[in-house]
Amino acid sequence: MKTPRLSPQTLRVLERFVEHPTSWRYGYELSRETGLKSGTLYPILMRLAKFSLLETKWVTTEDGVPPRHTYRLTPNGVELVRATFAAERSALKTRRVAFSGGRA
Amino acid sequence: MIPASVPRSVANAILRFAVWIAPHDTLDWGRGMLSELNHVEGNWSALIWSIGGAGVLAKHAILAIILPGSHRRTVSTPSKLFEKEGPMRKPALAVIASCVVASLLFFIAPVFRQAFQVSLAQWHDVFHVQRALGYLRADPELNKLAKQAEQDHDPELLAFVAMREPNQSESVRLADEAVGLDPNLTWLYATVAVHWSSFPEVDRWVPALQKFDPQNALPYLITAEKIDVDQVLRESVPHRVEDEPAAWKDAMAGAFRSSKLDDYLDRRKELNRSVLLHYRVDDPFQALADECWYRLPSYGVSDSSKYARLLVDSGNSLEGRGDHKGAAEKYLAVARFGQLMEPTDRFFLSGEIKDAYRQLGTLAERNGNNTDAAFYGSLSALLDRAAEKQLASWRSLSRGSTISRWNALLVRLSGLALLFCSALLFVCAVGLMARGRSIRLSSIRPSLITLAVGIGSAIGLLLASVVLLASYLPYSELLQSFISTGDESGIPELSNFLGNVQVPLGTVGFLGVSNVVFYFWFAITILCVLALLIAVVRHMQTRARTTAPA
Repeated sequence: MKTPRLSPQTLRVLERFVEHPTSWRYGYELSRETGLKSGTLYPILMRLAKFSLLETKWVTTEDGVPPRHTYRLTPNGVELVRATFAAERSALKTRRVAFSGGRA
Repeated sequence: MIPASVPRSVANAILRFAVWIAPHDTLDWGRGMLSELNHVEGNWSALIWSIGGAGVLAKHAILAIILPGSHRRTVSTPSKLFEKEGPMRKPALAVIASCVVASLLFFIAPVFRQAFQVSLAQWHDVFHVQRALGYLRADPELNKLAKQAEQDHDPELLAFVAMREPNQSESVRLADEAVGLDPNLTWLYATVAVHWSSFPEVDRWVPALQKFDPQNALPYLITAEKIDVDQVLRESVPHRVEDEPAAWKDAMAGAFRSSKLDDYLDRRKELNRSVLLHYRVDDPFQALADECWYRLPSYGVSDSSKYARLLVDSGNSLEGRGDHKGAAEKYLAVARFGQLMEPTDRFFLSGEIKDAYRQLGTLAERNGNNTDAAFYGSLSALLDRAAEKQLASWRSLSRGSTISRWNALLVRLSGLALLFCSALLFVCAVGLMARGRSIRLSSIRPSLITLAVGIGSAIGLLLASVVLLASYLPYSELLQSFISTGDESGIPELSNFLGNVQVPLGTVGFLGVSNVVFYFWFAITILCVLALLIAVVRHMQTRARTTAPA
C-alpha cells in the first residue's frame, strides 16, 4: 500500500486519531489539540484521505447550525498508524539500549 | 476602532471566495473549513483560520490550472461515471476570460493600436504588400484622406496625398489640383517631378517652377534628368559628357549659374506636420515617409558631377591657352555650386570640387595672392573633413542603434505572439463549439489539452500585449513630439526602428527576405498537407469502426 510521507505534524494528527480510532473528529477540534493551524492541518487531512487512510462524513449537530465535516481513520489508516507507532517504539527502544550501553 | 465582528465577516468572505475558486475535488474540504469557522473561538482566530484555509484552497486552484489532470472531479453517481470530461473549471474560465478581456482592453488605447499596426509591417513582404517605409504605399487611410481632400478642396491635404500616391498619373493630377487651388504650393511640382522623373507634365511644370523660384537650380536639374531618362529609354546614352545634347548642357549651365539649390524640404516638412496635426494622422510610416523621399533628382548628383568635371577640364584647357580669367570662372562655378549642395550630395562631387579649389589656389599663387591661395587650401581641407564626417554618419546610420534593433525585435516578436495566441484561442473556441454543438458555457467540456492550450494562449496574449506596448511606447512619444512640436531629434531613432520593424523575423537585413517568404509559404503548405492527411486518416478510421461487425 502506498503511504504518505509521515512528517512530525502528520504523526501528531495521527496520534489524536489513534486515541479514539472509531470516533469522528472535527477539524477545529483537531487543530486545537495538535496546535496546528488550518493551513497545516487541512493539507495533512487531505493527503491522508487521498491515500484512503482517512474517511470523511458530514454530520448535522443541531437545528439551524450548518453540518460539520468530520474525520475518522479507515481500517487501513488504523493499521498503518499502529504499525508506524510500533516501529517508532521499537526504534526508540533500540536507541535507548544503544545509548545505555546495552542494558535494556 | 474596528468593530469586533469585522474580522469574522472578513474571514467568512475570504473563505467563501476560496471555496468558489476551489477545484471540485477540494470543495468538500473547503466547505468543511467554512463550517468549522462557526465554531472557532475569537474573531481574530477565525480570521487566521480562514486565511490558512483559503491559502490551501488557492494552492489547489492554482495547481488545477497548471496541472489540469491532477484534480479530476470525484465520481459519485453511476451516471457521472460515463462523463468523459467535466465542465470547464471556473478558475480556468476566469483566467482565460480575464486575460482575453485585458488584452482586448489594450486596443482601446490608440498607442496600442498603432503599435499593433507597426508590428504587422513585418508581414508586408510575405503577403506582397509594398514596403511602407522607402516606397509609396496605398492604404485605406491614404485613400480616405484622398477622398476627403477632393471633397474639401483642401490644397494642403491634396499636396500631402499627391506626394504619397503610388499611382503616377493620379499623383500628377492631385498635384495640379493642389497648385491650382493654392499657387503658393507650386514647389509641389518639384517634389512630384523628382519622384516620378519623366512624364509629359514636366515640360509644363519646369517653367512654372522657374517663375515661382527663379534663382533655384532644382528645375534645371529636373530638366536634365528628363533628358537623361529619355536617352535611357531610347537606348542612346552618350558615352562622353561632351556628346550630351545642347539642351542638357544648357540645363546644367543654368543649374550651375543659379544662386541656390532648394529641395523644398522645409516646406514639405511644414506641410506634413500641418496635415498630420489637422487630420490626426498617426500612422508613423506615413508621418515619416518624408524621410525617404529623394531630395534631388536621382540623376541630379551624377549630372552635376559630370558637368563639374566638364567645367574643370575646360578650365584646364583655358588655363593652358593662357586665359586665366576664363579658367578661374569655370573653377569658381564648380566651387560655388558645391557650396549650394547639402553635405550628403556634395560628398559625391568632392573630387571635382577639390580639383577646382586646387586650381583656384594655384592661380591665386601665380598672381601672388597668397591669402586667397591659403583660403582655397583651407576650403579643400574642410571638404576632406566633411567627407569623413559624412562617411561616419552613414556608417552609424546603417548600423542603427542597438536599442532600436532590440525594440524592433520585441515589437515583431510580441506582434507575432499576439497573432499566434489569438489563432490558438480561436481554434480552441471553434473546436469546443463544434464538439459541444452549442455556444453555451455550460455545454463546453474541454479536454485537458484544450484547457492547457487555452490558458497558455490567453496568458501569452496578455504578456505579448504588455511587451508590445512597452516596446513601442518610446517611439510613439518621439512621433508625437515630432508632430506636435516639430522636434526632429528623435526622428533618426524612430526611422531606424521602423526600418528594422519591417524586416521579417529570421532575416538579417533586407537581403534574406525572399528566402524567409519562401520558407514561410513552404511551411504553410507542408502544414496544410499534414492537416489534410490527418483528417483523411481519422475519417478512414471512423469509417472502419462504424462498418466493423458488432
